[in-house]
Amino acid sequence: MKRHFSMARLTAALPVLLCLSTPIAAHEAWLLTPDEIAELSRTPTPPLFRSQLWLGLAAVVGFALTLVALRLEPVIAVVEDRFIQPVWKKFGDFGPLVLRLGLAAMLILAAFGGLPRHGTAPWITPTFMVPDMQLTNVAGADVLILLQVILGTLLIAGLATRACGIALIGLSLAGPVIFGSAFWSYAPHFAAPGLILVALGAGRFSCDHVFDIDGAERVIAPYRQILWRVSHILIGVGFVYLGLAFKLTQPTLLIAILEHSEMPTFSLPMPVIALVMTGVEILCGALLVTGRLVRPVALAILGAITFLAIVLGETPLFHANLYGALIVILLAGRALPIAHRVAPAQRMRAV
Amino acid sequence: MFGRAFFSRLNIGPCIIALLLGSLVIAAPIVNAKGRPPRAVFLILPDAITPPTVNIEAEALGAGRYRLSLDTTEFMFTELCVPEAEAVPVGHAHVHVNGEKVASAYFPTVEIGPLAPGTHVIDVVLRGQDHRPIVGRDGLAQGVLSITVPHGQT
Repeated sequence: MKRHFSMARLTAALPVLLCLSTPIAAHEAWLLTPDEIAELSRTPTPPLFRSQLWLGLAAVVGFALTLVALRLEPVIAVVEDRFIQPVWKKFGDFGPLVLRLGLAAMLILAAFGGLPRHGTAPWITPTFMVPDMQLTNVAGADVLILLQVILGTLLIAGLATRACGIALIGLSLAGPVIFGSAFWSYAPHFAAPGLILVALGAGRFSCDHVFDIDGAERVIAPYRQILWRVSHILIGVGFVYLGLAFKLTQPTLLIAILEHSEMPTFSLPMPVIALVMTGVEILCGALLVTGRLVRPVALAILGAITFLAIVLGETPLFHANLYGALIVILLAGRALPIAHRVAPAQRMRAV
Repeated sequence: MFGRAFFSRLNIGPCIIALLLGSLVIAAPIVNAKGRPPRAVFLILPDAITPPTVNIEAEALGAGRYRLSLDTTEFMFTELCVPEAEAVPVGHAHVHVNGEKVASAYFPTVEIGPLAPGTHVIDVVLRGQDHRPIVGRDGLAQGVLSITVPHGQT
């Protein structure tokens, strides 16, 4: 009877847990108060995360659920074709726009210290892309600040967007060189939007389109699908890495943040919630890497990021890169449709 | 021929996921076995290094202001901060009053205040050069002091 009650609680909690399965990266740790930090330093790793038996059982359950979801993929694909495909055809250009504006906001705010780490006053300490990476005592900080401002401005204008995508990939790769291994948590999730920009271009609402100056379009065309798939793989790898590095092997941090957020737990033990979140994040990442259930995964992660931002009282701009990339992925799906926008030059020829 | 048929029947996606989960199930308990605090938050010193300690002494300067002397052992103060610090007892201290950060101490003395009349808990945590709190084999390198600011001082 008791077990049935627990199962019912778990079932009721599942949607919330799915929603919460979002990348808790290093910056959330700064939300913790000094007392919570002191408590965290004394908290031992829960036995659940040290037991091969329990982790093995959890993995079997997670894998079985994944297989069920994969069996439903054809059904989901029909629903996607019916409801999302028309949206992409009609509003596809909003995808790159959202991505560009989100990235631009992050870059420009970071350059002026407007996206500060929790506990740091705004507009004082410039950062590199994300709140954690403070540009204090960093060689070449001025150059990085200038690059972020230029890149952000070009992205807003939609000017030389594919080149901006390449520059963004470059900055993502420079991050680990400048800030060490801590930046690997972020690098894939900035490189992937860069690849998406290279693959898709700026879309209709851009200077590139208006002035017909997207010269790289024809060069990129044969590689669009490859770039698109690689961007999914990078996002997926990012989630698997975050799940592994920040949840599976540091569960007490995740539990401390969840306790700090005072989210509803449905009387479930925190280690169980943490394990479910860990599993879902790793599985979502793995599905993106393998190119399966891409749209449902993108939707789930979007919901999760939004939910956690609300629960933790964080600005959505902390994850604007992911919002942009995932919205584009949600609209376009696993494979990019054949270019539905005809470049002005081609349109002229056709006429 | 057989190989081709085998691989065409084999669904590569679930196989990758199964392999990933299997590897994690084996590896994670090994990593978690030590039960150390999360390395994303703490700078964890190797057991071979004597853990640093800090004691706080407060000297009233008047008008609710205090000079704190941080008496540390096995710790070296530095003004230099780096993005990713080595696991050595070198860095600075963060000073909190009643749970709010009020100062970073890059030297063994730091002034705080003015504090309102009443009792205040001063909490000092030694931090590495990348701002992570230092944890040795005895736990967090932390000192706590309670002071009472008399009325009529501010």
